[in-house]
Amino acid sequence: MDQLLPPEIVEAGQTFPAALAACGDLDALLRLKGAFVGREASHATRLMELLKTAPKEQKRELGAAINGLKQQWEEGLKVRQAELEAAKRKLGALAASWDPALPPPQPPRGALHPLNRLMDRLVDVFRPMGFHVEEGPEVETEAHNFDGLNIPEDHPAKASSDTFYLAAHPELLLRTHTSPVQVRTLLRVAPDLAARGGIRFLAPGRVYRKDEIDPTHSPMFHQVEGMLVGHGIGMQHLKGTLEYALRALFGPDTEIRLRPSYFPFVEPGCEVDVSCPLCGAKGCRVCKGSGWVEILGAGLIHPNVLTYAGIDPHEWSGWAFGMGVERMAMMLSQTPDLRLFFENDQRFLKAMGGLD
Amino acid sequence: MWIERKVLAQEIPAAAALDTRQLCEVLAALGFPVDGVAALEGTEALDVDITANRGDAMSHRGIARELAAKLQQPLAPIATGTVSEGAALVPVRLEAEACPIYATAVLALGEGITPEAVQSFLRALEASPKRLPAVDASNELLLRYGHPTHAFDADAIHGAVTVRWAKAAETLVTLDGVTRTLTERDLVIADEAGPIALAGVMGGDRTKVTEATRRVLLESAWFEPKVVRATARRHSLHTDASHRFGRGADPAMARVARDLLVARLQAWCQAKLIGAWTSGAVPAPAAPVNLDLTLLARVAGEAVPLEAAQEALARLGCTVTVAGDRLCVAPPTWRHDLAIAEDLAEEVLRLRGYEHIPSVLPPMEGPPEHLAPAYLLRQRVARRLAQLGFHQTVTYGFISPEADALFAPPDNPAAGRTLANPLGYEYSVLRASLLPSLKATAEQNLRQGSRQIKLFELAPTYRSTPAGPREQMALAAVWGGVLGGEDYLSPARAVLEADLAGLARDLDLPGLPTVHRLAEGLFGFEVELDALPRPQDRIIPVFRPFSRFPSVERDLSLLVDLGQSYADLHQAMAAALPAESLLELRCVDVFRHKSLPEGQQAWLLRMRFQAERTLVGDEVDGWVSAALAAAESLGAKLRA
Repeated sequence: MDQLLPPEIVEAGQTFPAALAACGDLDALLRLKGAFVGREASHATRLMELLKTAPKEQKRELGAAINGLKQQWEEGLKVRQAELEAAKRKLGALAASWDPALPPPQPPRGALHPLNRLMDRLVDVFRPMGFHVEEGPEVETEAHNFDGLNIPEDHPAKASSDTFYLAAHPELLLRTHTSPVQVRTLLRVAPDLAARGGIRFLAPGRVYRKDEIDPTHSPMFHQVEGMLVGHGIGMQHLKGTLEYALRALFGPDTEIRLRPSYFPFVEPGCEVDVSCPLCGAKGCRVCKGSGWVEILGAGLIHPNVLTYAGIDPHEWSGWAFGMGVERMAMMLSQTPDLRLFFENDQRFLKAMGGLD
Repeated sequence: MWIERKVLAQEIPAAAALDTRQLCEVLAALGFPVDGVAALEGTEALDVDITANRGDAMSHRGIARELAAKLQQPLAPIATGTVSEGAALVPVRLEAEACPIYATAVLALGEGITPEAVQSFLRALEASPKRLPAVDASNELLLRYGHPTHAFDADAIHGAVTVRWAKAAETLVTLDGVTRTLTERDLVIADEAGPIALAGVMGGDRTKVTEATRRVLLESAWFEPKVVRATARRHSLHTDASHRFGRGADPAMARVARDLLVARLQAWCQAKLIGAWTSGAVPAPAAPVNLDLTLLARVAGEAVPLEAAQEALARLGCTVTVAGDRLCVAPPTWRHDLAIAEDLAEEVLRLRGYEHIPSVLPPMEGPPEHLAPAYLLRQRVARRLAQLGFHQTVTYGFISPEADALFAPPDNPAAGRTLANPLGYEYSVLRASLLPSLKATAEQNLRQGSRQIKLFELAPTYRSTPAGPREQMALAAVWGGVLGGEDYLSPARAVLEADLAGLARDLDLPGLPTVHRLAEGLFGFEVELDALPRPQDRIIPVFRPFSRFPSVERDLSLLVDLGQSYADLHQAMAAALPAESLLELRCVDVFRHKSLPEGQQAWLLRMRFQAERTLVGDEVDGWVSAALAAAESLGAKLRA
């Protein structure tokens, strides 16, 4: 039979399966289709011309052979086209697919400073008990920083070795604690203290002492002052408030312990310890095995402080406390070096801060 | 102060039965926390923290007294020999009220040195023994009983001894070899040749005891605390003696300490007492203090029986009489800190133990106050900036004059903001701006390898005024480095000034603050907090109806000169458009490329229209033509 066909077509017919398999995409397939079964100058059209000119007696046999070939080619092309189209669809689907493991665009994320976060948290803890926030200037007078707080005229803290003074204004200094906010607030509210029903507030802020910069000292640091003035206020109210606040801060199982101590602006005075929040009072490096951590100083407001502000200490009484923010932050985070809080390395801020 | 356990047990035998942990707990409960324990040969020393008001506790006897009161155990008696006083061998004149009593004795020294036990006690307490019995005995007495004494070389004293105010410019070479120029406010011990000691602070070199000393004159006096503190501070001379006199020694101990000193020298080096006498007398005690039971109950949080309070105060050495429902309390001679009723209430509570104080929440007597708007504003701004990817910094309020000068306006001179005693030159000026600190912090972070730096600070800045530095709360933000490029969807680009302008808009700042180029690719701005919009009073703003008809959007691509002001163009185009239908007009792209005519750029202006009806194409086309005409009047051309 093959001898009826031109040898080049026979040869093409033999290579067709391989050519079909070699078509990597639909374009190549289209070209192959054109060459074999296209309407012009294809193997198929040449065979049809051959059939036209073939001797009559051969026509029947030749026609059957040609049809067989064409059918074989068209069938092969169809199958291959379906294969290639399926592969293309699959690629298209893959291209449109999303790999959730690829790092996505990340909305920016900054951080509040850890010291500010801690102070905000303290405000949050005291708010439900009716405390608001009072603030005062960092440049203060000696009167507000010392005299109004029952600190004696010759107290060593007043020395220029301990306190920063302004060159052009010898009476002005950088406050050494947040306690002058007590004095300012009491002076302001004294005239209508009865109408207000006493006062209770927190005073968070920055303070300055002339300490060299080292892993545990900084010339600027933060304190949170708390104060409450009312009728018949005693140590039990200090203890009750601090127990509530420190449990809110460190957890409901927290215990507190008051120890006698001395600060000129309170009488009686005390240090307040909290059961170690890191080890649950079992004893660890932070609490030095004692189960207790010193957290703040407090006491009942000294009558002289009330009198200075124009408040009658026979009618009114109150308590006050002062807390070192860095000390607490270092304890809670176990940050080894105080300087990290003021270096403001973004990596530190991101790790230690947060958004609220 | 270091307290040695064996010596403590000599003062209060019951303390020997306590283990170290128990002892530390009792001391802490009394207000004397133990900072550390040092193990010594055969004993221990406790580093006891003694607050400034408790000068009386700064000795083994003082701590023992506290333990005795708390544990209700007896103190050992003080073993003084009997020194019978006689006529003054050397006249001692007290010319200042600051020294009411001065006990003294003269002894001839014999052979012998300080006993080894005493030397090791001194070593344990970090007081090096001098091996001169008179000096070592004085030091030992101070640590043990808290009363400073002094021994002079009696043969070096010329004539009468006077306790008097120094004369101006008088000098004294003190034991440490330093020549001190005195003032009329320094109290001195003087002989007829001049000062021989700074009262209560340090002895003089001329009359000091040496190995050659044959006769000593002992001093055991009491000096006014204020005077001693002032002299110690004036001469920067803080000694064990000034520490104790400065916090209030026990005037009744003057004679006792003299007797103890005499007895030691007699025992240690066969000293012979030549004579002992006392000038002046123990000053009259301060008036007794009344303690009202109501006040005590208020402070304690519960009623305290009169007898219990009376008994507690008596245990502390107070003389207590009962008058109705109040106690009339005369503190002992060693306590100078019991001046008001609250002081006494504290003592009663202290002996009962603070652990017995009840825990009660204080009742509300009035409405709670609101948080101040300025405080809330700062909280809100800080949170917004943190959400936008900025990190809050805390930097020192004082900076170097050079750093300050970068952003301080000329009308805010640094002189009015300079510290008298800064930690150093680089911390000497209260800053006029937060930007120098943020610039330094940002650069430090970039050096550390940060790709992008986003920082802000909320802190006061200072302005010089005749009344002193005025504080103004400020907000500063800095932004620099590379934006994006950290994931497959966000292309990388440098941070630009425009990013800071966008931030300012996000914060609703009125107008654009000056954006400073702080360094290559690092920008920042600063505003006073008052410039930030206050939170609205209304919880929800008044409702304003908005159109439910579809909006129409049109873009115009304009070729404009490179120097064209966008504000002018925007204004001109907006003026040509119907205000009631124009939702928005904004430039959404700036294209600068060599393919454009030289000196020109292309701006893509987008207009969005909306009305209370469906807008028709012709109408909008007319508006767009008008806007284009307005742009063309400024030289812009429609880009083909």
